[in-house]
Parts: sequence; structure tokens; C-alpha cells
Amino acid sequence: MKTLSLKSLSKTYFDLYAGSHHTALHDISLDVPAGEFVAIVGPSGCGKSTILNMVAGFIAPSGGEILVGGEPVRGPGADRGVVFQSFALFPWKTVLENVGFGPKMRGVPKAERDEIARDYLGLVGLAHAADRYPNELSGGMQQRVGVVRALANEPDILLMDEPFASVDAQTRMTLQEELTRIWEDRRPTVVFITHDVPEAVFLANRVVVLSKGRILEQVEVPLARPRVWDRLVEDDAFKSLSNKVLALVRAA
Amino acid sequence: MGAGNRLAGALTFVMPLAALVLIWAVVVPAFQVRPQIFPSVAAVIGAGLAGLRDGSLLTHAATSLARVAIGTVLAVLVAVPLGILMGISRGLSAFLTPLLRFFSVLAGIAWIPIATLWFGYGFGAIVFVIFNAVFFVVVYNTLLGVSTIPMPLRHAAASLGAGRRAMLSDVLLPGALPNIVTGIRTGLGFAWRGLIAAEMIATNVGLGYMLFVARDFYQTEVIVLGMIVIGALWLSIDRLLLAPLERATIERWGLVRA
Amino acid sequence: MNAALVLWSWCLRTSAKWPVLQTLAPFVPVVALWWAVAAWGPFPPAFFPSPMDVVRAFGSLVYRGILPEYLGDSIARLAAGAAVGMALGIPLGLLIGLSRRAYTALWPILLFFQAIGDIAWLPILIIWFGFGMTTMTVIIVYTVLFPVVLNTVLGVRSVRVELYRAAQSLGATPARVLTEVVIPGALPNVITGLRNGLGYGWRALIAAEMIVGTSGIGFLMFDARRAGSVVEIVLGMIVLGILWYIVDAWVLAPIERATGRRWGLVTQ
Repeated sequence: MKTLSLKSLSKTYFDLYAGSHHTALHDISLDVPAGEFVAIVGPSGCGKSTILNMVAGFIAPSGGEILVGGEPVRGPGADRGVVFQSFALFPWKTVLENVGFGPKMRGVPKAERDEIARDYLGLVGLAHAADRYPNELSGGMQQRVGVVRALANEPDILLMDEPFASVDAQTRMTLQEELTRIWEDRRPTVVFITHDVPEAVFLANRVVVLSKGRILEQVEVPLARPRVWDRLVEDDAFKSLSNKVLALVRAA
Repeated sequence: MGAGNRLAGALTFVMPLAALVLIWAVVVPAFQVRPQIFPSVAAVIGAGLAGLRDGSLLTHAATSLARVAIGTVLAVLVAVPLGILMGISRGLSAFLTPLLRFFSVLAGIAWIPIATLWFGYGFGAIVFVIFNAVFFVVVYNTLLGVSTIPMPLRHAAASLGAGRRAMLSDVLLPGALPNIVTGIRTGLGFAWRGLIAAEMIATNVGLGYMLFVARDFYQTEVIVLGMIVIGALWLSIDRLLLAPLERATIERWGLVRA
Repeated sequence: MNAALVLWSWCLRTSAKWPVLQTLAPFVPVVALWWAVAAWGPFPPAFFPSPMDVVRAFGSLVYRGILPEYLGDSIARLAAGAAVGMALGIPLGLLIGLSRRAYTALWPILLFFQAIGDIAWLPILIIWFGFGMTTMTVIIVYTVLFPVVLNTVLGVRSVRVELYRAAQSLGATPARVLTEVVIPGALPNVITGLRNGLGYGWRALIAAEMIVGTSGIGFLMFDARRAGSVVEIVLGMIVLGILWYIVDAWVLAPIERATGRRWGLVTQ
């Protein structure tokens, strides 16, 4: 696991329609220690996905620096695993091949990477679906594959871009519980983007509230683990933290 | 801004073609290519001017276009109603689909020998070939279009009180329209090629004939001129007429081609 | 009434068991009508042959070895042309699909040459290569090339950007992205392109055989036209139809479905 630090990060776009520059992110500075779970919340258009895309190396910052374990980020790399909102599973690969993709790129022999992939699929109860194609799975199952595909590559940092936004409400809660369980088990460094405040509070150690391209406030979440919805919905600390963050987001 | 963009788009489209002409203008004299093998740019322009002056180029082009237009209009007039009928009736569609597929394979060129026997060399045979090339593709696409209209849409129309006629004019026809236009575009693609082939074989006027006769006299400048005219005409028909029509129906309504 | 329903249900069950029957059944009334018109219609047999005449012509042409030979020639030409067309078209399509610069430089040229159409090349090809195999092969390659290139480009561009990103962030090198993401992602479109290309190529071949050929099904039909033998023309058309039907419905369409459907990738 490695630390992530953003130093005075900014991003400006040239807006073709307006014919002028538009600033998506101003002076974002954030430190994520190794093994921490950070959630970034904010209304749509606040720039939260831009941060993630820059950390992943998909787009270049206009100013500032991104350091992973002290090294500056230059383009996408296997040290930062990404879980996409649209799952982004390879439709022409079976579930097993999708999860084994990262190891395959590292040159791990087939038998070994199949074993790795099966282990990880077992983690989310999908061992039985190994030979199916993504298209043949439900949205919830596809995103479980998306999560373990990123984990199976053993990245230093796990980047998740609204990963549960396109699954139904019940499945979403199950996936959230599975994710906290996996996180407690393996303690990866996680940056989790969402617009769902209870989700952010439920999952993270720290919630970063973003507004109009700036960090509005950071809220620590000292709730005990393991976290499960059945208990937390009744929990006063959870409710007051959620309300606090919600108020910040709505004010934003 | 829109006009400027369009101009820039047209320029980026024309530039590579202009570069190609430039290469042609340099290579032919540089390697002293004999005019019987490939003509110079000047010779082709000369042939074009000569054809315009005596009107023969316009006659050939106009005749070819008229044949395509007549064949296509006739085919669409018959094909669309048939396609919609097939789309409504499951039995009719199951019965006719294999026949359609069989005949759409034969569409166009394969009909030339028998068309010339039945209609003689000339206008009738060629229009028949065009008709064939367009007809089957349009029927097939109309059928596809009707069958891709979501059932809830039909149910919604029915429960809002649409009768048979309204269902046809307000649901089925507009719903199938994007596919119909796609079908016409594909069919015309086949028809245009079929036309050139048919004109080489079965007539004494038209662009295909112009090309084929020029071959007898090794007039490569006329052949290349004809090829450019054929390419430019099709490109204009396809890009300036059919593609915008297709986009207008598909994109405006946010429909995705099936 | 009841008997009719029982009969209908029997028909449905049988045709469900043998889909071939469902395909063939519609041709029965068509052939019957054809027979009836030939027998009682106003047309002389030389102008409008009956199905039996065509079957007899089929027997005789097979017996004399002409039909198998010509059929072999046509298929060999199409196969050779398609193979070369694909070998050129797929790499070109990948290049144009991936490189912005190649796209700007080559796309208009590609569209223009596609618009010229295969058959329009025939006169100048005859001047260059004479009447024969080379001319025909060039025509087929030309015809197959464009749909393959255009569809490969479409396929490459239809690969969602997240898939590139996912592969990159899982550690794939550019070469690996090409083999693991771009090529499989474009594959359904490539096959659609091949299917279209063969459809066009088949027609172009027939036309070329009519105009320059000395053998092949197109030549058979056109030769029959010169001799005024309608029977052989009709026979040629039927052979063409059946052959393409088999290739398209039993070979190309299943491949297309096998890739597109299972992967959930929809191609047009």
C-alpha cells in the first residue's frame, strides 16, 4: 500500500461553445495515508470524477502534482486500480479472463492467474460464474467482477468512480457491505467517488466534500467496524454524521 | 461559428483529395506514363470540357441519374407498403422472409441477362435492374423497422384511441422511417453499381456505356473522367442527400438503428 | 375447423423441429405458380421455361461438367479476392481507426474510391491487365476492401473509452491494448464488414464474369443470353441464389451472431 498526495491540483478546460477557459478544479490539496478509505462527495459537475481521472492518469492536470508513494503520476498504470461506474468489463472475455487480465499483463502463467482469479471471485461469491460472459450477468454481479478485477491486480491504490450508481438499491447495499468487509480484510488505499452521502459515510474513514472545484470540508468518520446497514440505520452517530455531510453538500 | 466549422470540415475533406490530384499531376509526367495506360490531369480536364461542350457528358450523366431515380421511386412505392404489411402480419412475414432473402441475393446484376431478354436492350431492362436492387433491401428494412417499434408504443397508441389508419400513419410509418431510409441508402448503393454494370452491357447511352466504349479506343482520359464523375455523383447523392436524410430521422428522434 | 387446427399445429411442430422446412416451405407455392404460368400462361417456353426444363438443364450441365467447373471458378475467385481484401483491409482499418492523422488523410480518399464502385474500374483494368483472372481478382479485392476497412474503423471507434482505460490501468502496454481490446472490440464489426463485402464482391464477380469472363456462373448466364437459352439463365440465377443463401445464412450470419450476441455487442 502507498500514500497518495495531491498538491495544488488544478484543471482547466477550453470550452468550445463559450470560447473561453473553464476551471473545473482549483488548488486541490489532499493527503491519503496508506490503507485509508477516503470518499469524495459532491453534486454532479463539482469535479470529483475529474480528480479520479487525473489520479488514474487518464487525463493530465493543468497545474499541481499527483504523487503516489512519492512518485509523480505519468499516465495510467497498474499501481492504481480503477473500478468504473459503467463496469468496463471486456465483453469478449469471460469473467475469469476479466479478473485474470491484470496478472496476464504482468506475465503470470495461465494456470496461476486462473487460480488467482478464482480466489478473488470466491471473495464475492462468484466462483460459479467464472466461465460466463459479462453480458450474461446482472449489473450487481458485473460490478462485483469489476471490483475484484481491480483487486486481483494488487494495486497500491484502488480508485472507484461511482461504482454502485448503476445498480438497484438492494444490490447496492449488499455491495457496500461486501466492499467494507474486503477493505477491513486487506486494507487497500481507496479513493471512492460518489454523490450518495450515506454511502460515503458508510464506507469511508474520511469524507471529502467537494464543491465547484474546491474542497469545502473534510469530515472524519470514526464509526466502528465492521459496518453493516442493519445496525447503522439505527445508529445516532451515523445519522448525525450523514446529516452533517448532507448539509454541507446541499449548501455547496 | 457553425458556418466556419462547416467550411473547415469541407476543407479537411477536400485537402487529401487535392493532394491525390497533385501526386497524379506530378507522377504522370515524371515517369512518362503513356496516355494509353493512364491519362494526364490535363487530358482528363480536356475530355471533361469537350464532353460539356458537345453536351454528351451531361446526356450520359442525366440518363444514368434518370434511370436510377425512376427505378428507385417505383421500388420504394411498392416496397414500403409491402414491408409494413409484413411487419403487421407475423404469418406473412414468416412466409415471405426466406423468399425475400433469396431474391435480395439475386438483386441487381444477376437479373441483367434475363432482363435484357424480357425487355430488350435499353431503358426498360436497366430500370428493372435498379428496381430489383432497391426493392428487396427496402422491403427487408421496412419489415425490420416495423418489428423494432416497441410494443408499448403500439399499445399506448391503441389505448389513446388510434384506429387502424392512425396506427399506420402515426406509429408504424414514422417508427419504421429510419430503417426505410437506411434501406433506401443501402439499396441505392447496390443499384448504382448495378447501373454501371448494366449500362456497360445493355445500352448505348449512360455513364457505364461511356466508359466501356472509351475502352475500345484506349481513351483512358474518358475512362478516368467517367470514373471521377461516377464517384463524385454517388458521393454527392449519398453524402448530401441520403446521409442527411438518415441523420434527420435517426438523430432527431433519438432513435438508434437496429 | 378442429381438423384444420390440428393440421396447423402439426405444421408448426414439424417446422420447429426442422427449421430447414420453414425456409423451404415458402418456395413450394412459388415454384407451383411458376409451373402453372409456364404450363398455361401466355409465354412461349423459350421465353419462360418451366421448372422441369430448368432441372433438366441442371442435370445436363452437371453431367457435362460445366456447372461444377464454373461454380468452382467463381468460388475460387471470390475466396482469393476476399482473402486479399481482408489481409489489406483489416490492418488499414485499424490504422485509420486508431490514428487521428491517418483518419484525416485517408478517410476522404477512401470514401471517394468507394464511391467510384468496383465495376467502373473494369474498362481501365481491362486495358491494364487484359481479359482474365488478374482483372477479376483486382475487382473483387477492391469490392471487399472498402466495407472491411470502413467497418473496421467503425468497430475500432465503437470500443468504449473506459475499456482502453481499464486495460491501461491493469497494466496493459499499447501492443497489449491492441490485441486484447481493440481487435476483439472491433471484431463483430469486422465480420459485418466482411459479410457486406462478400455480398458486394459476389455481385461484382457476377458482373465481371459477364463482361470479361471466359468461365464462371456469370459467364454461364451471359453466354446463355447470347445463345438465347432462358433455361440456363434461370438456372444460373437459382444457383447463385442458393449458393449465397448457404454462405450467408449458414456460415457468415452464425459467426456474426456467435461473436456479437454472446458478448452483447450489437452491430448494425
